[in-house]
Amino acid sequence: MQYLVDQIVSGIAVGAIYGLIAMGLALIYKSTGLANFAQGEMAMLIAYIAWTLAGLMPGHPWLVVGGALVASVVLGLAIERLIMRPMLGEPVFATVMVTIALAVILRAGAMLIWDPYPHALDIGIGRGVVMLGATGLREAQLAAILTLMAALAGFWAFFRYSRIGKAMRAVAADSRAAQLMGISAARIHAIAWTASAVIAGLAGIFFALLYDVSPNLYHVGLKSFPATILGGLDSVLGSGFGGVLIGVAENLAGGYLASSIKEIAGFIVIIAVLMIRPFGLFGERDIERV
Amino acid sequence: MHFRTLMAALLVMASTAAMAQQQGVTDKEILLGEVEPLTGPPALLGIAYNVGTKIAIAEANKAGGVNGRMLKLIVEDDGYVSARTLQALRKLIEVDKIFALTSLSGSGASVAALPVVEKAGLPTMASIAPISQLFQPPRKNVFAVGQTYEEGMYQLTRYLAMKFPDKKWGILTQDDDYGATLKGGFGMTARESKLNVVYQADYKKGQQDFSSEMLKVRSSGAEIFLAGGVIAETVGMVRELEKLNAKPVTAMFWPGRVSATLKLMGPAGDGIYAVDYVEAEDSAAYKAFLEKAKTLVGEAEIKAINRYTIASYVSTRVLIEAMRRCGKALTWECTIAEIEKTENFKTGLMGPVNFGKGVRFSSQAVRIMRADFATLSYKPVE
Repeated sequence: MQYLVDQIVSGIAVGAIYGLIAMGLALIYKSTGLANFAQGEMAMLIAYIAWTLAGLMPGHPWLVVGGALVASVVLGLAIERLIMRPMLGEPVFATVMVTIALAVILRAGAMLIWDPYPHALDIGIGRGVVMLGATGLREAQLAAILTLMAALAGFWAFFRYSRIGKAMRAVAADSRAAQLMGISAARIHAIAWTASAVIAGLAGIFFALLYDVSPNLYHVGLKSFPATILGGLDSVLGSGFGGVLIGVAENLAGGYLASSIKEIAGFIVIIAVLMIRPFGLFGERDIERV
Repeated sequence: MHFRTLMAALLVMASTAAMAQQQGVTDKEILLGEVEPLTGPPALLGIAYNVGTKIAIAEANKAGGVNGRMLKLIVEDDGYVSARTLQALRKLIEVDKIFALTSLSGSGASVAALPVVEKAGLPTMASIAPISQLFQPPRKNVFAVGQTYEEGMYQLTRYLAMKFPDKKWGILTQDDDYGATLKGGFGMTARESKLNVVYQADYKKGQQDFSSEMLKVRSSGAEIFLAGGVIAETVGMVRELEKLNAKPVTAMFWPGRVSATLKLMGPAGDGIYAVDYVEAEDSAAYKAFLEKAKTLVGEAEIKAINRYTIASYVSTRVLIEAMRRCGKALTWECTIAEIEKTENFKTGLMGPVNFGKGVRFSSQAVRIMRADFATLSYKPVE
């Protein structure tokens, strides 16, 4: 029984990281109708920035995390203002291609600015082991789970009660009607990209604390796509849950079936779910697939 | 009549010149090339290997080159992807027209590249990952220095089986040629010593999270665990075991026997067993090599030095010495013949290098080592 509990808890921990990145994906999709293929690369870039800051400010973990989050705000705003806003009104396919190009540029840029080696992100916290009963978790795993829970609650309240959240829902429902009602779509897009970059950045930092910082960190974004599809591409909260489901499915497959099945378990789950619910577990409307 | 004689003489001269001037060789220069992973986690190996080639070349050029010709190296990155290895090789051979190859990239990639290299016929040193497919059966132009993964793993597990008898064993390997060869070596010991194997599995190449696998290792009761990853994977396994407070005797293979791996593992890496045919960092030969390297390459290259640098340096020195023995008339045929004649070539950084008629692999004796986290190095065990 303890073995099952350990597998599920470890799955939730890695799934929380998938879920955070997936929520960012869904947030951008919900606000702009766009699938951002550079979400994993954004997480990678912020992790690299955190690693650089950790080298500059040893012994100041909160300054490192704070600095990295400020950088993620700047990154989100810069991507929206300089790259995505000029693409407003262009065909969806062209805009998606721009995000793919952005992903490639960010990957190559990381190798040019830093190096191709894996590095440990050591900020003095996050690597210790916390015991929850008989189950051990690293601090960063626990932080990832708590952050996901906070993000789920925060976004639920944001969409339900805040003016910007309601405006975001309005833009998602009918962008033209929302603009006629005086809502600035550009502002909503900027907020979505910024929030998405921040949660991707947090996920990147957690991942780097648990594993390493390397250009391959972007792979975690590939795991988050099935999570978003599973939860519903237009459902921010559903995508968060989707990440957890994928993480748990992977661990159970690895723990009870075979390690070689683990990496494809998430994709098997989404095929099964999409056959029954084509728009994902929590998706609500028609989705244009590209 | 005079005109015909003149034309015939010109034709003979032209054909002789073409024969004498082999691809990649001019009066002043010899062009060498190599392919290796310079990006992604295996770059820790590829970049270090490239530094070894650079050191051997810089050393030769500093001494006046090879019979007056300076050596020049063209390097291609394959990112540890076989398709890119083939593309890079074709460019080096057909476009850059190199004279010889100093590296063929990692295990699976080098095996995939063999038909291209064999057909081209140029002298090739393939020592970054000397797996048996590279030289069994022997190919005329492909040479390797080092030890096979099977033999290395066999020696490592044999040592552990003798030191820790009657224990339960676990092994996790990559689902490719590299993993298959490690399993092959382990299988030899398992059969020979009738090991009690309680956990054996493959992971998918590129996997980052090993939580479910390490939980399985712990629940299997494995007392000796062989972490068969390359770099990031081995680090992931060891750190996950640390988190689970599982403390089996852990061993890894030589791709992980670099200080960077130990740094990534943190204190969890202390005492891990490893195996290698290259001298350990605290040996006099290694230290002397490091001092020499400082006079030949830049600071960035010095920082990248690890065991792969030594493997490349020795392998490239063998090639350079063979080219030197060919004299001015440098050809593929002569270089291949001279590499074949290499006997008792000593560098002090590994055992003497020997080839022979039909022998394309210089087998090196391995040593068992243990990681010392305090000094980020590995020390030979008694």
